[in-house]
Amino acid sequence: MTDILSILLTAIIAGTPLLYAALGELVTERSGVLNLGVEGLMVMGAITGFAAVFATDNLWLGVLAAGATGGALSLAFGVLAITLRVNHVAAGLALTIFGISLGAYVGKPLVGQSLNLTEAQFSGGLTQLPLLGPLFSDIHPLVWGSWLLFGGLWYFSVRTRAGLILRAVGESPRAADAIGYPVMSIQFLATGFGGVMAGIAGAFISVVYTSIWTEGMVAGRGWIAVALVIFATWRPERCIIGAYLFGGMTIAELLGQAMGLGVPTEFLSATPYLATVIVLVLISRKDSRMRLSVPAALGKSLDIKG
Amino acid sequence: MINKTRRRLIGGIAAAATTSLWSNFAFSVLKPEEKLKVGVIHMGAISNTGWEYYQAQAWRSLQDKYPDRVEVTVLENVTDIQAVERQFRQLAMQGHQLLFGTTFSQYASMKKMAPQLPQSHFECCAGIEAGPNLGVFEGRHYEGSYLTGIAAGRMTKSNILGWVGAFPVPQVLYSLNAFLLGAQSVNPDVTLKLVWVNAWVDPAKEKDAVSTLVSQGADVISGSPNTPVQSKAARDEGVWSIGNTGDFSEFVYETQLASFELDWSPAHIEAAQAVLDGTWEPTGRWRGLGDGGFIRMSTRSPELPASVGEELDMAEAAIISGELKPFAGPITDQSGTVRIAEGMELSDDEIRGMNWLVAGVQGSVPSS
Amino acid sequence: MLLRFEARSKPSAAVFWLSPIIAVALSGCVAMIIFALSGLPPISSLVTFVSEPISSLYGLGELFIKAAPLILIAVGLAVGFRANVWNIGAEGQIIMGVVCAGGFALSYGGSESAWVLPGMILLGAIGGCLWASIPALLRIHFRANEILTSLMLNYVAGFWLIYLVHGSWRDPAGFNFPQSEPLGQSALFPTLIEGTRANASILFAPLAVVLVWLLMNRSFLGFQLRARGVSQRAALYAGFPANRAILVGLLCGGAAAGISGVAEIAGPLGQIYPTVTPGYGYAAIIVAFLGRLHPVGIFFAGLLMALLYLSGDTAQMSLGLPPSIAGVIQATLLFFLLSAEVLVNYRLRRGDRVAVETEAV
Repeated sequence: MTDILSILLTAIIAGTPLLYAALGELVTERSGVLNLGVEGLMVMGAITGFAAVFATDNLWLGVLAAGATGGALSLAFGVLAITLRVNHVAAGLALTIFGISLGAYVGKPLVGQSLNLTEAQFSGGLTQLPLLGPLFSDIHPLVWGSWLLFGGLWYFSVRTRAGLILRAVGESPRAADAIGYPVMSIQFLATGFGGVMAGIAGAFISVVYTSIWTEGMVAGRGWIAVALVIFATWRPERCIIGAYLFGGMTIAELLGQAMGLGVPTEFLSATPYLATVIVLVLISRKDSRMRLSVPAALGKSLDIKG
Repeated sequence: MINKTRRRLIGGIAAAATTSLWSNFAFSVLKPEEKLKVGVIHMGAISNTGWEYYQAQAWRSLQDKYPDRVEVTVLENVTDIQAVERQFRQLAMQGHQLLFGTTFSQYASMKKMAPQLPQSHFECCAGIEAGPNLGVFEGRHYEGSYLTGIAAGRMTKSNILGWVGAFPVPQVLYSLNAFLLGAQSVNPDVTLKLVWVNAWVDPAKEKDAVSTLVSQGADVISGSPNTPVQSKAARDEGVWSIGNTGDFSEFVYETQLASFELDWSPAHIEAAQAVLDGTWEPTGRWRGLGDGGFIRMSTRSPELPASVGEELDMAEAAIISGELKPFAGPITDQSGTVRIAEGMELSDDEIRGMNWLVAGVQGSVPSS
Repeated sequence: MLLRFEARSKPSAAVFWLSPIIAVALSGCVAMIIFALSGLPPISSLVTFVSEPISSLYGLGELFIKAAPLILIAVGLAVGFRANVWNIGAEGQIIMGVVCAGGFALSYGGSESAWVLPGMILLGAIGGCLWASIPALLRIHFRANEILTSLMLNYVAGFWLIYLVHGSWRDPAGFNFPQSEPLGQSALFPTLIEGTRANASILFAPLAVVLVWLLMNRSFLGFQLRARGVSQRAALYAGFPANRAILVGLLCGGAAAGISGVAEIAGPLGQIYPTVTPGYGYAAIIVAFLGRLHPVGIFFAGLLMALLYLSGDTAQMSLGLPPSIAGVIQATLLFFLLSAEVLVNYRLRRGDRVAVETEAV
């Protein structure tokens, strides 16, 4: 029994960066903005978060740095995609390449460095709390944070008026504007939020999960997060399940090897990506479900000029 | 379609002309006041642990030993195989007389270029075999792995070892086989679980691999670590780790049972000296422990009992003297075939081309 | 906001022609700032940065063999992009081109036949097309977003190639290292410019530019594709089948990618490795946008991107900067170009907030 629990826990922790990034992208896409630069944002978040913690041994400064970087870069993307109405796909790819390259560039001096934190520092001081301390020793505060985030977001989208407005903006910006909502500001807020979350997701990988920095750490998780949002049909509760499912896939693949399943390892490595494709197909098939779930104005400026 | 014969003829004449033009340079000794320019290309970034670190230590030792006669140009992060040829050529054109490749994936490009650039001498670490104007050198990692295996065999309680495999290449296979053989030499019931990460560096996946192995019962973890991730993950899970081609005692002093490091400086220094003397020739060097070797045993855990420590020292001496051969028969592979009979040992070629796993390894190698 | 955008009555030709120049100039400024911040003399460093890679014949050859795959793939992708069909899977399609052609090359490369190369090229194109047809069919039949399906398939293709190179394609004389045996002479492209690595396959790039130009501007199919890009709904009303656009759009990119994969293994690599493509599939997308999805623009954009890659390598040797600077400059260039493009159709005006407009679907 403890075996299964510990595997579950490992899957949850592995899925946490996916959850952060996917929830952030979910909000962004709900407002109608398609941000494909999540991978680049995560890399930048990973390096700035790592650098901040490396310099100060303070977890929360790292989170702050990562979030701020992600937010700032995503706002720059927002200027392109929202204000200037540039093609979202192009702008998102530019952000990805920019983030990955800049991350490698500024991270060069720190390659191979690892963090040496005490348990207290690692948990940002939370293991020292009188009653709640032990809660944080096995489950990192940022994992708890992701659950709080999920809860908050679920409540926000289902129960609050603001959540409704966000959805309205993504469905029909023209109508929302006619009612008097500041559409562009809302889109900027949503994009910035997504960027902050992606930054934190990256920092989680470098600071919490591995405590080390090298290039290529994010390894495509940003793209999986984008896929996750569609997998979840833009609903937070499905996002969290998906995140843990995909977090668990790598573990499952390694377990499959360790237990002696005769499948070639490369095939096992490919399963998370194949699974995403299959899920995408299954979800998209249900035409009505897609139509009800897709923010109708997602990536609206997809038309090409010239 | 272009006339192949004519093209080949012209190409042949051009090549002959070029080589004869350059041949004046090929065998000239450097004048005493001339500096030896050395070029090194790293695939990854140099940090303070891992493969690239040891490569860097080697050329740093050149700078230490010949502060006034040697000048080293270093390129990092040359990840594309296509770019390797261009970069080496540029270094050669800029007058670097000795060029070091630092990884197997540069070998094919160097093999192609070496005969075309006789004004420079080429050396490839982890290359397959020496060729015209190209020397190779590699370490007998298995000697170090065998010794760490002895420590693992003595200290394991579950009799299950774990190996985080990067890629199923011979260097990894012979290391993990030697690891298990070393453990089995003191503890015949030991088995080894193997998972492939399919990457040399992927910290998150390496960490997951360690968790997986531990969940399957492994209590000593080894692999091809380039970063402390595996060792730290092992420590966090409460199991031993082995510093296989890396010493991470700075991070996990108590839980790193034994370790060994790579030392390429003999190769670099010998090559540089030979070029300076005008006696450089392409050779293949495959060395392990001992003087002038490329493997150096390193830190052991303070928790390792003194008796095991002595056992390791004696085994090391025996390997160096040639008495103890890690791949001496009888050795059976996973399928039950006897690979080498009692009283015989595997030849160098057989070790370097190893594509099978010793009996007791639970895991697989892609079949061809 | 104090500034707003006002649609121009007709697109500004001046901005249209000037914007790439402005974008390049601004990126040059960013590069100079980076050099200055690293303690290097800005102007001379920039000159070294862009001129040194091509200062020799060999360097020019390198430029061509780097630019050719970028141009070829980008031109194929642009066919789809202009029709609103988003193929992000070029990377995987390159690999599948190698997978399909590689087996053939390994089996028949030893023979002296003149049919080996054409066979490889054909198989490469077929391989890329087949792989691209998966997201196409998934989009047509299941409405699955082709951006994500094609992207995920990149990873799958990558693992497939690793599996082959580690397994059945492993070089028997290679001590079990993950590489195929070297391709036989008849499976390699002949060198075009002696003294460089530029081989005959670079001719595919200008050929593709011409072909795609003809397709998009002189054929009815091209008109249908462009119409769909401007307004999907209008195209449907006009009776242009969406499925055809999706299929053509994705397959063009797939074929181009597959062929360039063959060019890599039959050219600068000469062997099959797990890492046949240093990210050309993604770089080509950027080239497509830099070239504004126009074949001629892509031609020049490809040369510029290739130069930047080579400059990244130079940056390390001559300036002591990490090669990742190339990616930074490339992305910056794209940012500026995309921003400048907006001014083609809109002008900036001071004024009150205006009602939000969205383009018709």
